[in-house]
Amino acid sequence: MFSKKLAPALGLGLAAALLLTGCGGSGSSDPSGSLDPNQQITLDLAFWGNDVRAGMYEEAIVLFNQQYPNIKVSQTFLGFPEFWEKRQIEAAGGGLPDVMMFDYSYLRQYSENGLLLDLAPYLGSTIKTDGFTEAALGIGVVDGHTTAISIGTNAWAMYLNNDILTATGVAPYPGNTSFADYDAWMDQVTQAGGGTVYGGQDWSGRIQNFEIWLRGQGKDLFTDASEVNFTAAELKAFWEAGQPGRDGICVPQSKLEEVYPKFGLGSGLAATELTWDNFGASYLGDLGVEQTSLAIAAPPIYRAGAQDLYLKPSMMHAIAANTDQPVAAATLVDFLLNSEAVGAIFGTNRGIPASATQLAGVNLDPLSQKIYDYEQSIADRLGAAPPVPVVGYGTIEEKFRVLGTELGLGTITVDQAVDQFLSEVSHVLNS
Amino acid sequence: MTVLTTTKAPVTVAPARRRQPGRGNPRARRELLAGYGFLVPWLIGFFGLTLGPMVMSLYLSFTRYNIFTPPEFIGLANYVRMFTDDPVFIKSVKVTLTYVLAGTPLKLAAALGVALLLNYFTKGSGFFRSAFYAPSLIGASVSIAIVWRAMFGTDGPVDSALGLIGLDLGGWVGNVDLAIPMMICLTIWQFGAPMVIFLAGLQGIPQELYEAAEVDGASSLAKFRHVTLPMLSSVIFFNLLLETIHAFQVFGSAFIISNGSGSPGGMLNFMTLYMYKRGFADMQMGYAAAIAWVVLIFVAIVAALLFRSSKAWVHYAGETR
Repeated sequence: MFSKKLAPALGLGLAAALLLTGCGGSGSSDPSGSLDPNQQITLDLAFWGNDVRAGMYEEAIVLFNQQYPNIKVSQTFLGFPEFWEKRQIEAAGGGLPDVMMFDYSYLRQYSENGLLLDLAPYLGSTIKTDGFTEAALGIGVVDGHTTAISIGTNAWAMYLNNDILTATGVAPYPGNTSFADYDAWMDQVTQAGGGTVYGGQDWSGRIQNFEIWLRGQGKDLFTDASEVNFTAAELKAFWEAGQPGRDGICVPQSKLEEVYPKFGLGSGLAATELTWDNFGASYLGDLGVEQTSLAIAAPPIYRAGAQDLYLKPSMMHAIAANTDQPVAAATLVDFLLNSEAVGAIFGTNRGIPASATQLAGVNLDPLSQKIYDYEQSIADRLGAAPPVPVVGYGTIEEKFRVLGTELGLGTITVDQAVDQFLSEVSHVLNS
Repeated sequence: MTVLTTTKAPVTVAPARRRQPGRGNPRARRELLAGYGFLVPWLIGFFGLTLGPMVMSLYLSFTRYNIFTPPEFIGLANYVRMFTDDPVFIKSVKVTLTYVLAGTPLKLAAALGVALLLNYFTKGSGFFRSAFYAPSLIGASVSIAIVWRAMFGTDGPVDSALGLIGLDLGGWVGNVDLAIPMMICLTIWQFGAPMVIFLAGLQGIPQELYEAAEVDGASSLAKFRHVTLPMLSSVIFFNLLLETIHAFQVFGSAFIISNGSGSPGGMLNFMTLYMYKRGFADMQMGYAAAIAWVVLIFVAIVAALLFRSSKAWVHYAGETR
């Protein structure tokens, strides 16, 4: 078939190609084996965050190694977007790290593609579950398989900058009002701010606010079967409701463009922001203020008495399906989730710990106490968690945010935004 | 009378045997093999890193592919979506073309202008040549993009300077009307590379031509128009082609200045940035591959148009028309 001259050349080419593409065999081991204390094991641990969180993980790993000196943990961290870009590439190449911090919005995608280890054989044994509520454990279940466990929980909330409110002389937003009343309250701050600070930023630019708007009407964004559960008219009504905010009440979008990826509150432009309740620490860092400068209130509500809020995992831990050391990885996950000492190290950096065992070790600082109190205070508004986010939810969320910015800049109309969003959702759900 | 007729036998010349390198000559064969041996690294790079991925991306452009599951063939659906159901892509084409069509000529004009000055004023030209060239080296870096973002922000140096002369434009970074001009300023600032090429071209124009023009009473403008420009046309063409292709590939600075979002209002969402986001943020690799091929086709069309038009305005030494 090949000439004598061509054959060696092809062989050389093939060898070079294999070398270049890094192809090689990979070993695997029995996932049901027990942990051998004499076996030297190395685990990769990846998480997103900053230097502060990396230092906390380092401390936690030192404690882990006191108990398991034979397990070396090699940790890496990145910012959130970069973390996921890297994971996506690794997932395609079958090289995910053994233990990962995991985000709820990617859970279905990775679980349905068999990339995460089914934790069922380890739950209740290697990974202790006594400290978790059924609801907390249920969050990481996709198609009947537990593939991730919640580290901490968070809920949608409103942060307030007390310093701005003091300066403008406006009483703090009381929480639980209608969206229109929230607009009216923001307007007071904006008027008093004289063009330097504003009451808030356009709430219709975040999909989470659309979600609680819909849940206020008894609907989720998507069904269990990953189908769209809202109409174009509902989305149009929502974006139109945000128009007063865009017409001079909220921070102008052109100003927000300059401070992105910070938002209104973190950049010191806005007195309030609707966001997840565990974002307080990053606001403190962005603003460089004391913990007393921040307060938390309940978001506006579509209909009084609705159960529109829910507890969501702020972050999770998961194990790669192709790990060579599932038992060791499960042991590490258990330590990071349940250890009181780890709780003392992290505080609420990863949200209010989902494990009661770990929570017992947390010494709540003033801000953490506010977060904890807030989650207790919204008990009446807490409803059942929505279905696990659809595959590609991150893309949908970002599209919603970008369309919100375009509405703020006036580069598209509400009708165009609705068309574009539904078209994007359709493509994402069909891909 | 005797007529002698001679019949000339047709002369046939045996064709010279073409020497085939390597055949029957061990030394030549060794040299041939050595030649191919030296080519192997390049061939591996070409087939493994250029041609292979290109063919693969062409195939992927006809598929729906999210990395996790095998590609699914969908024919031309990605291309149809791009032009009929994706206003963001259409906007990214408009933004890219605006940037290319406005930025490239301005950059070349700046480069030619400064090259003319450096060619005329020889004192300290070495220093100025280096000084003007430096931005070309660092202009595409992340740090410069960050500096640019700070310079053109609200109350930044540009805003403040313009405010002093009564132009209160505010920040350019978040302004949909000023974002592209800001990017064009950045590309103009990097005029050093084409400037050096223009300078070399200017120094290659024979002085006799200017002397002859002077004898004919040509003004400076006439000399520029009738001597410099025609003699420099091949260099202008080279720079125009290079810079146009380069402008189509704008990515890093737009990514940094917009923090990867392509904002404000999609005005920095150039085709390359949009392709990247579709591929690596949204995991729509098939769609991203299709965008990559459309970018390539755009560049090829523009390059072909430039080559075609060059017959009308580019003059080469020794060429007669």
